[in-house]
Amino acid sequence: MNTDDLIASLSADIAPVPRHALGRRAAIGMMAGAIATLLTVVVWLGLRPDLGHAMMGATFWIKWAYTISLALAATQATVRLARPDGGPGIALRLLALPVIALALIALVELISAPRSAWLEMWLGHSWMVCSRNVFLLALPIFLGLLWSFRRFAPTRLALAGMSAGLAAGAWGATLYCLHCPETSAVFVLTWYSLGMILAGLVGRLLGPLLLRW
Amino acid sequence: MRDDSGDMRTLMLAGLAGDSAAHATLLRALLPVLRRFYRRRLAGRDDDIEDCVQETLIAVHQRRATYDPDRPFGAWVHAIARYKLIDRYRRMGRTVPIDDQPELADEFDFAQASDAHADLERLLDTIPAKQAAVLRATRIEGLSTAEAAERLGIGESDVKVSAHRALKTLADRVRGAWR
Repeated sequence: MNTDDLIASLSADIAPVPRHALGRRAAIGMMAGAIATLLTVVVWLGLRPDLGHAMMGATFWIKWAYTISLALAATQATVRLARPDGGPGIALRLLALPVIALALIALVELISAPRSAWLEMWLGHSWMVCSRNVFLLALPIFLGLLWSFRRFAPTRLALAGMSAGLAAGAWGATLYCLHCPETSAVFVLTWYSLGMILAGLVGRLLGPLLLRW
Repeated sequence: MRDDSGDMRTLMLAGLAGDSAAHATLLRALLPVLRRFYRRRLAGRDDDIEDCVQETLIAVHQRRATYDPDRPFGAWVHAIARYKLIDRYRRMGRTVPIDDQPELADEFDFAQASDAHADLERLLDTIPAKQAAVLRATRIEGLSTAEAAERLGIGESDVKVSAHRALKTLADRVRGAWR
């Protein structure tokens, strides 16, 4: 096709692009996925029966502070990586802060408890399914981000994929808190994080395959 | 003929606001920059060069929402052009250099596209006259090395060395302006 004709046809119908169009599209993709994840939590896993009561206690909010702060940092990195000239900035390094904070809380919790309780605190009742559940709940949100990325222009595909995976994992973990009754910090630090890391790794592998444009 | 074709960033912003004419002007203004970029890397493969130019224009258009107005416009286009180039290499079965250092000429070219900071004439006044003359002849008027050498009465290798030095100085200046 003649280049002049191409330019004419490309310029024919220009819709204005709103500011923050990228962030908005990422949000829409994640929200759509989050709705699917929420439905999965409610219908398949079930909300924790003591949810109302739990939300009045500190532990629930510590868990949410952990997962949400990770989710926000990873989401920020993902949106930055959606631009062709974008790097993650410090956003991915910020992920260390909630981890360190939760690790300190876990340390305090363990020290305050008798040593005989440590294994139980660490494994809880659901250690065998927790990471898997977080990972599975991340999937719809990751798919939502893949949809968002169809209009994006990432040039660092593995990193963008990893970032999207981590964001999906963290948001998935956030919704998982509505089901999961575990309360010890060392449990959350281990098994929730593992699920998120797995989501990040899968994202890293899929990025170069699925994020091309 | 000046290379900076009006302020491309301004055109881009106008296009983002919905101005079709500005958008068309921008795409046309990008043609020489992109053609030079691909010609340097795909020398002799005219079909590939024009294909890449078209692909990049399409990408600039379709992905225009990924431009951040607070960042240099030239760097954004350059990133898209490099991405499409690597794609093309892959399709050609050509090994892609792991660390594809942008050539100085690329940096200067795309920097010009950015904004008023890179006022070409002002910049050329800040470097030695001979280097400026070589750049004007080869970059702005598009003369070949041989033609520029003949016009300026110097040897061809002198043209190349002077151009290289001039680009390095200017690239450093331009990059420095953004910090």
